Amino acid sequence: MTSDLDTARRSAGGRSRATAYLRDFLPGILGYIVVLALVGAFGDLDGETPTRFGWAMLPVVPAVWLGWAVLRHLRRVDEYEQVVLLRGLSVGFAVAMLAAVVLGMLAVAGLDLLIAPWLVFAAGMTSWAVATGILNAR
Amino acid sequence: MRNSLRPLREERGWSQAALADLLGVSRQTVNALETGRYDPSLPLAFRIAALFERPIESLFHPDDVLSGTVGQERG
Repeated sequence: MTSDLDTARRSAGGRSRATAYLRDFLPGILGYIVVLALVGAFGDLDGETPTRFGWAMLPVVPAVWLGWAVLRHLRRVDEYEQVVLLRGLSVGFAVAMLAAVVLGMLAVAGLDLLIAPWLVFAAGMTSWAVATGILNAR
Repeated sequence: MRNSLRPLREERGWSQAALADLLGVSRQTVNALETGRYDPSLPLAFRIAALFERPIESLFHPDDVLSGTVGQERG
């Protein structure tokens, strides 16, 4: 049962934590987009120069930043939100591991899938987001 | 575990968000506590008890333990 007092309005603390998370996360995602554009324009990843490996590793920098932002958020939120966040992460991890095993076995069987690592990444991220959304909506 | 957070909060005219701010947690956490989806840690339970000026055992009640049999074997 709900009452007039049970609005969906966030608490002041919840708002400030969400703002802090955005402040940490946004530079990372913007940096990731910029770096990806730079790598696409100048990286010459299909070429033969050894520097292409350095270019290929550049997006890892903002990706690490994003991981750091999530970790900071995890330490900032309260105990229930930590449980929800960690449950979502564990679902994402399990799905990513399952996808890795499936694609690994298919590779052993001879399926040459160049985008296999990205499929693992997509499966993990998507399942993390979906699981967290479901847990938050409960 | 059952609890009497909602009636106590409404008695005081507090919204979930207001109680969340008083406890230093999110509104979702207050909602999860009130609906029984989440049992608080001991430190949070003590903060809740202090806020409502009541002993913990008057706020939280185990719902699957027979009265007087805690710690005893059933049989």
